[in-house]
Amino acid sequence: MISLIFSSIEFLLWFLPVFLIAYGITPCKYRNLTLLAGSMIFYAMGDAGNLPLLMLSILCNYFVGIHLTKRSPKTLWRKRLLLLLALGINLGVLLWFKDWSGAEVLPLGISFYTFQILSYLIDVYRGEVSREYSFPKFATYVIMFPKLISGPITRYGEVADSLTDRSFTVQGLEDGMKLFILGLAAKVLLADRVGILWHEVQVTGFESISTPLAWLAAIAYSMKIYFDFWGYSLMAMGLGRMLGIELPANFRRPYMARSVRDFYRRWHMTLGQWFCRYVYIPLGGSRCGEFRTIFNLLVVWMLTAFWHGASWNFFCWGGLLWICIVLERQLGRLKFVHKMKVLPHIYLWLIIPMSWMCFAITDLTQLQVYLDKMLWLVPGISGGYEDAGKALGTYGGLLIVSGLACTPAIEKLYHKWQDKLPVKVLLAVLFWYCVWKLQLEGNNPFMYFSF
Amino acid sequence: MNQAENKNIWSKMKEKLHKYSFWGCFLLAGIVFFTWTDNWQMYTEPLQEAYTEGVQLADSLTEGKWLQLPEGQSDGTGSGYAPGEMMTAEDTGISGMTQTSSEDTVQSSAAGEEAGMSGAAADAQTPDPAAPDASEETPQEVVYHTVDDSYFDDAVFIGDSRTVGMYEYGGLEETSTFYASTGLTIYKMFDSAIVSVPGQKKKITVEEALSEKQFARIYLMIGINEMGTGTVESFMKAYSEAVQHLRELQPDAVIYLQAIMKVTTERSEQGDYINNEGIEARNAEIAKLADDQKIFFLDVNPEICDETGGMVASYTYDGVHLKAQYIPIWLDYLKAHAVE
Repeated sequence: MISLIFSSIEFLLWFLPVFLIAYGITPCKYRNLTLLAGSMIFYAMGDAGNLPLLMLSILCNYFVGIHLTKRSPKTLWRKRLLLLLALGINLGVLLWFKDWSGAEVLPLGISFYTFQILSYLIDVYRGEVSREYSFPKFATYVIMFPKLISGPITRYGEVADSLTDRSFTVQGLEDGMKLFILGLAAKVLLADRVGILWHEVQVTGFESISTPLAWLAAIAYSMKIYFDFWGYSLMAMGLGRMLGIELPANFRRPYMARSVRDFYRRWHMTLGQWFCRYVYIPLGGSRCGEFRTIFNLLVVWMLTAFWHGASWNFFCWGGLLWICIVLERQLGRLKFVHKMKVLPHIYLWLIIPMSWMCFAITDLTQLQVYLDKMLWLVPGISGGYEDAGKALGTYGGLLIVSGLACTPAIEKLYHKWQDKLPVKVLLAVLFWYCVWKLQLEGNNPFMYFSF
Repeated sequence: MNQAENKNIWSKMKEKLHKYSFWGCFLLAGIVFFTWTDNWQMYTEPLQEAYTEGVQLADSLTEGKWLQLPEGQSDGTGSGYAPGEMMTAEDTGISGMTQTSSEDTVQSSAAGEEAGMSGAAADAQTPDPAAPDASEETPQEVVYHTVDDSYFDDAVFIGDSRTVGMYEYGGLEETSTFYASTGLTIYKMFDSAIVSVPGQKKKITVEEALSEKQFARIYLMIGINEMGTGTVESFMKAYSEAVQHLRELQPDAVIYLQAIMKVTTERSEQGDYINNEGIEARNAEIAKLADDQKIFFLDVNPEICDETGGMVASYTYDGVHLKAQYIPIWLDYLKAHAVE
């Protein structure tokens, strides 16, 4: 099966140019149709079997959306019933695939498109956006390929205007492509390579590694998951900008945060905003007393955990973060806490890698072993730290570069220099370098390892 | 007036240049890239794949199977590449697999078992893979002794990443010698510059290292990386030549040919070039190279495999490499199978 992820030769050298040409020669009026058709092909190449499911879902929700606008108090209960029914069915399908179907692979992008459809329905019901009468427009909103597979989770209101009227210009193409290349480089040159350390530690087995190596590998995983996801989001944003659609940002230098609370306002922002908007605030948010707030947070975090997968380790992850956030709320009452500059960073850099391990290791006994290692409860197989030294020798440079890329420095430099010729040349060369790397190693560098 | 016009044109040109400079750089870099890249045809592979897939899809549609993608895609029947280095892992893997699975597997399971259990009772005189059936001669039981770690002091371990694992976590890194490197193959074994010499920056090849120093015993486990290319026959040709060359370089050493470690059944069924049938076929042939005088065949697989015939799943993360904590099983097996 040809899987069309952005960082693949298939997408970069074939799908994207062909699509852009087709999109460019389509008259403005019909560009939504081209985008719709292109996105359907994009989806079909990844998961043809579930395309009918997606299209059916779009069609049904399109009709539901049309009937959801509040008009008079008389028909309000009918709308409410319809909304509840629609939410139930949409969530039911998602839940069924996540938990009960026993399928190993979910339908492509189902978590993302379901959430976007839900946000549309609720917003229409609340009267925050007006219903969409045009089926192609609605379908394009749900299925547009830049955000189809892994977000950003975009509310209808955020792109409604650009669905009606958007421009396709050389400048837009250039700006979008530059963002795309940055994202591609983050994925191919940082995430995929730093991820190898984490892979190696898994091959060695957690029982045998030393505590320093456990931390190094956890940091490597933290970098890998960030550059993977941030890179993907940048690519999505870049693609959107190329087509004239402004997609919301998903990350804002999360590792520069100073508390877990702050971290998750910067990490996968669109998911956090979704839960905030449609779960946390309706539950009362932080307006109904401390106890209620803590409870609301628990609900949100358990749902977030479940959204990532119906596996116990995700609940450990969500639970740990919930505890941290609750404690931070209490500590936040103390004045001197806000004056500290360095300590909060260190606290975050200790807690987040641990939380990522809960996220990454699905087997609970293995997770236990790993956390024991991180907390220095059991020594490594040889008792020494040579393994960490060796890993540092191989991956030290890469970890430092990754660390630097987490700071605002590179972003600032880019904004200052993005229109200068050297940066343009650099980015152009970077693109082809990534293509070469991809050809060499494949999309998943572990798959093509030699033994 | 004229000057102003000129200036105007000039600034317009500059504007245009600025507008298209990025895409100019981009295309230029692309042209340079495709000119200098080794094999630009590789990048057309997705098109060929899409074409094959399309044809198969059309076929299945005409047969009335709606929306059911053809299962046989991983056959790689569509991509018309000649065998060689530039093929993708998938492509090469398939060619190796189809050729091994035809006849070798049938005989291999029996031969491999016999060899594994009775400790390589293959024919003694002719270390030739194409030799007549071993059962004609009277098999002689090899008597194994159990030894301790010091037995490996004058031993050299040659192999791929699995042997690297033994080096890193077997506890022998101080006393024994390891000429092991990830991705090592039988074809390039002697020519790989992987041996570091104290006080010297440049690494020397295995060939040079083996000519400089004599060892009492040589442990060889190699063969999983080679499964992507060629057939059992081509692999064994290179393998038996390598063993003969080892014998020439180290006339007094006892050579232990280790069976290639199998992978987990799950990994084996993943559908690429790594599969246990292929490994068994190769192991059966390697066993025939043993003369039980100076060359012995050791098969650790019974120790690390479960009833499905693959590596025990909990012993490994990736299905191929033993986790560090299970390396001692392998080492203990070697210690229990010394001939002197």
